[in-house]
Amino acid sequence: MELTKNITLGVYLPGKSSIHNLDPRTKIITATIMIVLLLISRSYAAFALSALFVGFLITLSGVPAGYAMRGLKPMLPVLAIMWVFQLFLFKAPDTTIYFHWWIFEATAAGLHMGNLIILRVLFLFTVTTFLTLTTSVVSLTDGLESLLKPLRAIGIPSQELVMTLVIALRFVLILAEELEKIIKAQMARGVAFDRGNFIQKTRKIFPVFLPLFIGAFKRAEELIVAMDARSYTGGKGRTKMKTLHMGRVDLEAAAAMIVYGGLLIYIIIFTEPMI
Amino acid sequence: MNLSVRKIVISGILGAIAILLGVTRLGFIPVPTPAGHATIMHIPVILGGVLEGPVVGLITGAIFGLFSFLQPGAPFFADPLVSIFPRLFIGVVSYFVYFLSKKALYLTARPALSTGPGEDASPGSTRPISKLSRILPCLFAGAFGSATNTILVMSMITWRGYLPSEVSISIGVLHGVPELIVAAILTVILVQGIQRIRPSED
Repeated sequence: MELTKNITLGVYLPGKSSIHNLDPRTKIITATIMIVLLLISRSYAAFALSALFVGFLITLSGVPAGYAMRGLKPMLPVLAIMWVFQLFLFKAPDTTIYFHWWIFEATAAGLHMGNLIILRVLFLFTVTTFLTLTTSVVSLTDGLESLLKPLRAIGIPSQELVMTLVIALRFVLILAEELEKIIKAQMARGVAFDRGNFIQKTRKIFPVFLPLFIGAFKRAEELIVAMDARSYTGGKGRTKMKTLHMGRVDLEAAAAMIVYGGLLIYIIIFTEPMI
Repeated sequence: MNLSVRKIVISGILGAIAILLGVTRLGFIPVPTPAGHATIMHIPVILGGVLEGPVVGLITGAIFGLFSFLQPGAPFFADPLVSIFPRLFIGVVSYFVYFLSKKALYLTARPALSTGPGEDASPGSTRPISKLSRILPCLFAGAFGSATNTILVMSMITWRGYLPSEVSISIGVLHGVPELIVAAILTVILVQGIQRIRPSED
């Protein structure tokens, strides 16, 4: 029962590579552009190019690729089931039928649709995990706050929202450890989590959920007192001890991104989409 | 708009629980259907709405949605219209269902309970509140919040063309109903439990 082992979101691996040294704003903007491009990519060539680029980034950062992908492991069975689902259930007019049995049809369109969404999931996962692995929470906060500052003008409390997101990211690991303790404690009392039918399994969730939520709310109350005691005021009038500066690395990153983005947009426009 | 420290912290921590339930797969209950699991990842969002109001419900929903978009548990969620947009409504709907049913229950209980003229039936009054009128609003909030999630997500999946409508409806029923029951019961239990340790307001 090692819950924390497969959690890679919100974990930061310190390093000295040029990816680590980038201004967080550059990384956030780049990651956002990549995500948008991946959402409009519809051809195998586009994903192949993205795979090359992501591979290049991971190599450059020195983050062990196996570690970056570890969080994917619990997702694999679901992905496999969904792929089969798409293969047999996605319907499109005039497409090649590979296989036909009863009401099930494996079609070329289904195959491509399955591949498309699985590839999207893999890339989304890798890009976001990679971002948090190479960026500390503090610089992620600074970057996001600085990028979202203009939203204050239209009345959106951007700094407070970023703080919320940061608390969420920080507490995932803390609560994971707590959850592990609760599950172990209940197992020690004789609860067999992996046995029983659907209803029995569901009922075993209750003795885990209640302590988890109560513990979380106790921590929340403590954090509220701690933040109030330090007079946390959100965005208004706050200054930073360390201000962000863009440097040469950021220029290089922008250049690399322009080359990749340009090529990808070219591929998206001029190649045959898979579906 | 201003966000209090309380709202920031509670949204953040409930968001963390939603993410945690996703990454550990604890938020997925195995159900004997082709898609394999029902979800209870939206329970923190319902709680946010019920305990702290629509704003916290909205923010927690956004964190949950953002997470399920960026680290999708099922392939359709790699589309923000399926993963983020529907989740914004869960907490808000839960709050309004909770608030309105609480109000309705207090109002119907009023003639029997009222001791004198001019006394209002707000939750702030010192009159003893029956156990049922504490439980029912939570039950409704959990059920409606869960239904909001199922209906909106399945509609978006169908609208975006990932699954034909017959498949969506059957998944919606097969998953939505157990999810709804579990969410309703868990909301009741968790709200009762959490209100005991919170600084009291009503």
